[in-house]
Amino acid sequence: MNKVGTLEVNNLNKRFGSLGQDVKVLDDVNLTVKPGEFISIVGQSGCGKTTFLRLVVGLESDYEGDILLDGKKLNGPDLKRGVVFQDHRLLPWLTIEKNVGMGLKNSSDREARKSVLEHIELVGLKGYEKHYPHQLSGGMSQRAAIARALVNRPKILMLDEPLGALDALTRMYMHQELERIWKKEGITMIMVTHDVDEAIFLSDRVVIMSSRPGTIRKIIPVPLARPRDRAGTDFLRIKEEVLKEFHLHTETPFSYAI
Amino acid sequence: MVIAEKIKGFIAGNYRGFITFLSLFILWSGVTHYQLLSPESLPAPQVVTATFKEVFSSGLLGKSLGMSLSRIARGFLIGCSLGFLVGAAMGVSRSAERLLAPLINAVRQVPIIGWIPLIIVWCGIADMSKITFIAIGAFFPMVVNTFDGIRSVPHGYLEVARVFEYGRLRLLRSIVVPGALPAIVSGIRLSLGASWMLVVWSEINTRSDFGIGDMLWSARESSKMDLVIVCIVVIGAVAFSINELLGQIESRLQGWKRSCR
Repeated sequence: MNKVGTLEVNNLNKRFGSLGQDVKVLDDVNLTVKPGEFISIVGQSGCGKTTFLRLVVGLESDYEGDILLDGKKLNGPDLKRGVVFQDHRLLPWLTIEKNVGMGLKNSSDREARKSVLEHIELVGLKGYEKHYPHQLSGGMSQRAAIARALVNRPKILMLDEPLGALDALTRMYMHQELERIWKKEGITMIMVTHDVDEAIFLSDRVVIMSSRPGTIRKIIPVPLARPRDRAGTDFLRIKEEVLKEFHLHTETPFSYAI
Repeated sequence: MVIAEKIKGFIAGNYRGFITFLSLFILWSGVTHYQLLSPESLPAPQVVTATFKEVFSSGLLGKSLGMSLSRIARGFLIGCSLGFLVGAAMGVSRSAERLLAPLINAVRQVPIIGWIPLIIVWCGIADMSKITFIAIGAFFPMVVNTFDGIRSVPHGYLEVARVFEYGRLRLLRSIVVPGALPAIVSGIRLSLGASWMLVVWSEINTRSDFGIGDMLWSARESSKMDLVIVCIVVIGAVAFSINELLGQIESRLQGWKRSCR
């Protein structure tokens, strides 16, 4: 028996019918995610990685194959799986505190309030409890969204390009924060991204997807000690390996141009 | 201090609007002073002011306005609440939309004048028919705005609710209603504007004991253009105040909306 929080995806196929055309979006996707693992799914736009994530969350249905959490077939979304969307999706008419408490059954009782405040502190937004989303920057809003997704203590957190809308520096800072939260919570995280650096910096394994139809081309393990050095040789070697899959690799790079 | 600041801010923001009013007033005074138009067709400002004082102190203006407002209150409440219920049902349920939308969209196109014969046959020419006209006028903007408001709640928020396993009631209370609220308030504003217009119109159309529209039409029939102008100014001023008041509420509610999109 595995530890709780094992996600198993077997022979997953997904089609979309649009305008009488039958489009195969996902073709025989197989993936097992161990509890506490950090997995990144990297691929070009339109490769089906977001569809994959939405299927695992339960927001899409009508698929062939199995998606199992601890051996049980998933049926629609539930509180065991948290999601952070690319757009933070905080409710603009609620304060940060209320937004973070959205997922709790009765957000007014003492226990719930404590949990909300703890999670706000976890993502580094202490002092912003009474602010509204429009008063926060993009990075802060995404932190609040992460707190909201974690407040129910889900077993798995899915992140759909969570930092895609942020500027490069804020993004790098958020990588450190995400790593810290992942370590502290000991939670399984599955992140969809198209930022190769981000994937290597954070993940235990990088899943590379190819497009049309979306399949897993390769899974590259990242056996580097954390926190990782973006400029380290091992890091760059893995980056090269990933980029090779996208045919972006330069065979004989010049170190200096004369 | 705070009040003085507010008044200062208000004047700074709105003085251009006053200039237009002032120019029109000067033009009016000039035309009457040099008698470019006969006093029968355009009475002078001081004559109009005197007439205003007269109808105000005799209580005629107050009584007429009061009657009109009471008709509005009844017609608006009926039309607006029915409109809200129908719009909300259509917004929340696809089958209610399929059932009601074609009918509503067809009937909505009929100008209010088209209803005159039926309404008068059914409701007579007393208060009942006026209230019905107002209710019809208040109903449609409310239906459309409530429906649109509910349907324009971003799909992403509904997905968040699904992920958190919200039930139907919690979804409505926590996401649909607050998300649709600004549009609903716009609907109330349009609906109230239509009510005010229709009370004047229906009082002219089917005469009544008292009412601001009735007062206007009586003045026309006895060729008292000074009284006609008094009525027009009063009608405009009331409509303006209603609109401003609801506009304030609306912009306050949409504060989050403007800054987040």
